[in-house]
Amino acid sequence: MDDYQIPPPDLRGRAHPDRMFRMLGALITAFESLTNCAHLRRPPTQRVDRDLNLVVDEIRVEGQDVRSFRLVAAGGEKLPSWQPGCHLDVLLPTGRRRQYSLCGDPRDRGSYRIAVRRIAAGAGGSRELHDCVGTGSTLTARGPRNAFPYVRAGGYLFIAGGIGITPILPMVKQAAADGAPWQLVYTGRSRASMPFLDELSELDPARVRLRSYDECGFPPSGSEILQYAPDRATVYCCGPAPIIANVRRDLPDSAAQALHFERFTAPPIVDGQPFEIALTRSNRVLTVPPDRSALEAIRQQIPDIAYSCRQGFCGTCRTRVISGEVDHRDRVLTDRERTDTMTTCVSRSRGDQIVLDL
Amino acid sequence: MFGHRRNDTGRDNPDNVVLEPRDVTFDWADLPTHWVPDEPLVTHTCNVLHLLLPAGERWFVDLFTQAIPLIKDDKLREDVLGFIGQETIHARSHQGVLDHWKTWGIDTDPYVAQIEWMFRATLGERDLPATRREEWLIERLAIIAAIEHITATLGNWVLNSPALDAAQADPTMLDLLRWHGAEEVVHRAVAFDLFTHLDGRYLPRARAMLITAPIMLWLWVRGVVFLMRTDPKLGGRVKPRWRHFFRASRRHLLPPAHQLVGQTLNYCRPFYHPSKEFSTDQAVAYLASSPAATAAAV
Repeated sequence: MDDYQIPPPDLRGRAHPDRMFRMLGALITAFESLTNCAHLRRPPTQRVDRDLNLVVDEIRVEGQDVRSFRLVAAGGEKLPSWQPGCHLDVLLPTGRRRQYSLCGDPRDRGSYRIAVRRIAAGAGGSRELHDCVGTGSTLTARGPRNAFPYVRAGGYLFIAGGIGITPILPMVKQAAADGAPWQLVYTGRSRASMPFLDELSELDPARVRLRSYDECGFPPSGSEILQYAPDRATVYCCGPAPIIANVRRDLPDSAAQALHFERFTAPPIVDGQPFEIALTRSNRVLTVPPDRSALEAIRQQIPDIAYSCRQGFCGTCRTRVISGEVDHRDRVLTDRERTDTMTTCVSRSRGDQIVLDL
Repeated sequence: MFGHRRNDTGRDNPDNVVLEPRDVTFDWADLPTHWVPDEPLVTHTCNVLHLLLPAGERWFVDLFTQAIPLIKDDKLREDVLGFIGQETIHARSHQGVLDHWKTWGIDTDPYVAQIEWMFRATLGERDLPATRREEWLIERLAIIAAIEHITATLGNWVLNSPALDAAQADPTMLDLLRWHGAEEVVHRAVAFDLFTHLDGRYLPRARAMLITAPIMLWLWVRGVVFLMRTDPKLGGRVKPRWRHFFRASRRHLLPPAHQLVGQTLNYCRPFYHPSKEFSTDQAVAYLASSPAATAAAV
């Protein structure tokens, strides 16, 4: 007999199984049989194409090492709408995927604008955009999506560090247009390296504070920045991690009451060594490079694998380990669970190979 | 309490919000038994959530994980993955309250065992032929979409419940309910969109709500009766009465019945979509000021 035909014990501890739950079981069984013939009429699932085919319409130098790219639809049609804080997932010609904040005008449905700082020592996405993409180049993108939503509030303090100005710029313009009290603290290595100073100069200069690390040191303290917060302000902060950390720490002692900051989805991998993963069920061996996670490698083989936080706290990607010693870097598994499972999003192999039940 | 108050039209809501789980923790060391002071019925009506949600949300996660290979829309898949992480943390956070009650000697196991049986056994994997297995999965996704509409309704209510602050409800518990409520409001369309993507027919959607709403009401009533009977402070002397419920909702300490019934019927309208209800703006604003969400490690 199936488990669902034996109802659980009665709530008051009487000897017979719970009568109400026996009825509930019967009801749900009847409900299931209703669905029995439903597949005759269920429409097939349609594939949804989310790709945007874009053409680079204009490239401008916005500051030292910073270029902005104006993108239009290849077919000239209207682009999907967006709100301040949205980003675009751009597929570069080499197959790299990078997220860039939209920094243009949300009311302009004909074009998007992104801005990119060239990082010579970076992973290569920014170099590729600067060096290989010109006017007329085509790019495929996904989105826009919003990981930094701008919401209406009584007052704002915007904090931007360097290229972190990109999501902040449309927010500042929106707040100025709405007539909300706002302040902007814009920090960067030097004035010359800080993009969009010309556009910001069109706004109320009394509300814009520029701080270069040459003058005031890095990272500036949270309280120093937060002193400009209007009463009960909502803070939007995008910039280097040390600035975000300082602002988070000093927020409770400031006039501000809420903090939004741009979270970077995957924190960098520390001390990563390359290793191999053998997948028993799909009978494959994958190589995990030092700067990628096991999950990223597995996803290439098994695109439908479940995961979520990518930071080792939700446990969704937990996988059974058949052999191999695991370097556990999560904060969710118990010691007992660590004996035979791992979270593939952050944990790695101590040795050359681990064998997973996938 | 809130920087701004929004209407329920959903106008100006930010679209396409990326769903990310937040690694929240709650410390229950100072939780009073009746965390809405002198309001055992209000306390226990809210407490039923802790009994239902851990098992329920684990069931959501299990079914959504099974549904991933059926999805032919990358954006929806991203939403489903974000949803799975958020629901996992919700389940864990409510489980934390149950675990804390154990240290008080309150044993909720008999009730929880029934809920677990319902999700694991009756609503779990049945011994079905392959063709019916996928239909059963999708039918259950319709049930999740219906439940998610109810949780978003409750989440929206608790985000707009200053009477609970005025009644000096425990701030940590209020933060748990509002953090959870806010995430429910933000991800309110995911289960609906998943069902629409895989099936989308009106009849199975409405049918799922018509079976879900009465069962939830029944489980809720049983839960309140059970908790009031088990509550060591009440010693079985205080019985829950419907008139106490209506009195509490008139004082805005519990959601009004007409709103719950209205939203249930609203879901059964043919052209209903969750994005037309509730305010993403308000929920996002709460998450930026919630003590637990802002303290969450990143």
